[in-house]
Amino acid sequence: MRWIRPLSGDTDEPVEILGAKAQGLLVLRRLGLPVPSGFVITTDACREFLRAGRFPEGLADELVGAMAWLAAGTGRRFGGARDPLLVSVRSGASVSMPGMMDTILNLGLTSEAAAGFAAEDSRFAADLLSSAAELPDDANAQLTSAVETVFESWNSSRARTYRELNDIPHDLGTAVIVQAMVFGNRDEHSGTGVAFSRDPDTGENVPYGDVLFGHQGEDVVSGRTATHPLCELASREPTVWTGLVSALATVESHYRDACYVEFTFQSGELWLLQVRPGRFVGGAAVRVAVELADAEVITREEALLRVSPQHLSQVRTPHMTSADVIARGIGAGPGVTVGRIATTTEAAVRLSADGPVILVRPETSPHDMRGLAAATGIITARGGPASHAAVVARSMGKPAVVGVAELVVDSGSVRFGAQVIEAGSVVTIDGTSGEVARGAARATTNSTDAHLHRLLAWADDVTGDHSDREESRRLIAAQAALRLR
Amino acid sequence: MSKDDLLVLHALRCGGWSSVARVAEATGLAEADVESELIDLGIDGLVTYDSGAFGAWGLTAAGKVADADRINDELESAGARPAVAAAFERFLVLNPELLDLCTAWQLRAVDGVMTVNDHHDAAYDARVLDRFADLDRRVAPVHTELSTALHRFGRYETRLTGALARAAAGESDYLADRIGSYHAVWAELHEDLLATLGTPR
Repeated sequence: MRWIRPLSGDTDEPVEILGAKAQGLLVLRRLGLPVPSGFVITTDACREFLRAGRFPEGLADELVGAMAWLAAGTGRRFGGARDPLLVSVRSGASVSMPGMMDTILNLGLTSEAAAGFAAEDSRFAADLLSSAAELPDDANAQLTSAVETVFESWNSSRARTYRELNDIPHDLGTAVIVQAMVFGNRDEHSGTGVAFSRDPDTGENVPYGDVLFGHQGEDVVSGRTATHPLCELASREPTVWTGLVSALATVESHYRDACYVEFTFQSGELWLLQVRPGRFVGGAAVRVAVELADAEVITREEALLRVSPQHLSQVRTPHMTSADVIARGIGAGPGVTVGRIATTTEAAVRLSADGPVILVRPETSPHDMRGLAAATGIITARGGPASHAAVVARSMGKPAVVGVAELVVDSGSVRFGAQVIEAGSVVTIDGTSGEVARGAARATTNSTDAHLHRLLAWADDVTGDHSDREESRRLIAAQAALRLR
Repeated sequence: MSKDDLLVLHALRCGGWSSVARVAEATGLAEADVESELIDLGIDGLVTYDSGAFGAWGLTAAGKVADADRINDELESAGARPAVAAAFERFLVLNPELLDLCTAWQLRAVDGVMTVNDHHDAAYDARVLDRFADLDRRVAPVHTELSTALHRFGRYETRLTGALARAAAGESDYLADRIGSYHAVWAELHEDLLATLGTPR
């Protein structure tokens, strides 16, 4: 086939053709890990579509053929009433453009297929229909339109702006991955999540991530449902947990680095939907590099080349040390600060007369500007690193933690999951790590990091220069020497 | 109430607690006129002045209700709801991009680490500013739709274009880093659209 490749272990083409996400799925396949069946439409097809404004010659036929192959392989029927097959359609460019392009789930959910699901399980069918998009009642038309939508999302103005800012060429196009759906909302033994093979904040060698029981992945993104720490999977779905931990070890030894995976489990069965190296930064990057070298997974020289001087300065950023971390969100304005909780702008202004205040809001609007001005830090339940709260906090040089999913702001108190904190109570926030702790925690600059000391000692071994110099210069000198070898 | 009352009242609804100067800037009215409107609104119990380190005028609970009623009357009597709702849809498409741009102005990924933009890379900053200007051009039709539907919306285009011009002339904190910045005015426009349509956040 000219435009389509199966997601099978023997497909082997460059990332420029298949995209990074599809390449990750092929790696998983070759490692014998569970990946839903599917195929990838190449970036060539996307470029051709964007040039001509319509599917390139032959793609429509290939799509029909690939769907027939997928239906045969899964024993289900696309758009059929009995054993209906649903598919996902996801973008996957050769370069990372997080959140910029479209993903469309549950294609093939025609009225006939919905009736088929309802006959199997009415609750599940209702859940599927509740999140269904407005689409034609024809499975093939749905699929074609979804592929076009994902192709076109390459050229959305937001994606174009992202590429302009990040020096990414506009003519790469995206691949499109079509896979049989697996359902995190299938039953009480289903769910979805993301996992790192090691803790991305500290680098510690323990699986880390979030899991959502009984839901699809988009429920996390939409903020409709709170996630749980990954470790809860161990007690609730021990078989899935064991499979996941073992898969994380397998992908780590393949990439020889900490890894990130997205997964779904359906009726107790684990499926992997994405994998990539973890791209850790700061102290976590240092620790992983040193521990991988200690385990002889990589050499000391490789460890030195994996840590950038930028990561060293991040290690030296003051961070919070507390045993009483009650929530984690996204660090959106660097720095550590302590203050009493206020839940409204008015309360923040009032309380600030007596000392530092942390403003806690579901999200912020211009109404909160005065409260933000009065506060020394901000916590929000919603929003990402580009939210109103994050932009304003940075403009004022104030620490901010945003997107704390389990946060609920009541009038006189706030709740982080099950923990209730009264307004006026003292908390500490770390706007780098995104952590929130009860009480006044200490901010420390990490000057005794054992992993960092060892890494820098290896750097000095490379250069032979053991004089007292700035840390980043020790690393840069070693990297320069290694690159000449 | 006069038309200017509503402008002043609604400026506090969309901009939050504000100084007289900020209300004047938001409405395009003279400070003296704003001040006398605020005093009258205060007598009616719709606004209040809170003194102290962050002294400012703000709406009372009654003021918020009065604003919602009058803004809704204004919208419905002008028959402007469909046009404002359609413009809001188009605004929402551009909103994430504006927030991306503000973030790109403030932070840069260096070796994967999000780092405060130290503004030493003039070429990068120029590129971000260029994208702001591009976005500003693309939001222009939305402003036209809005100000055609309700005249008072025209003020946002003036303010946004003004902020961008100041940033381009070297006062770069007018992009995202101060009161009256492109980001701050944009957020007020967002709040205004929600308030005008009666849409909760």
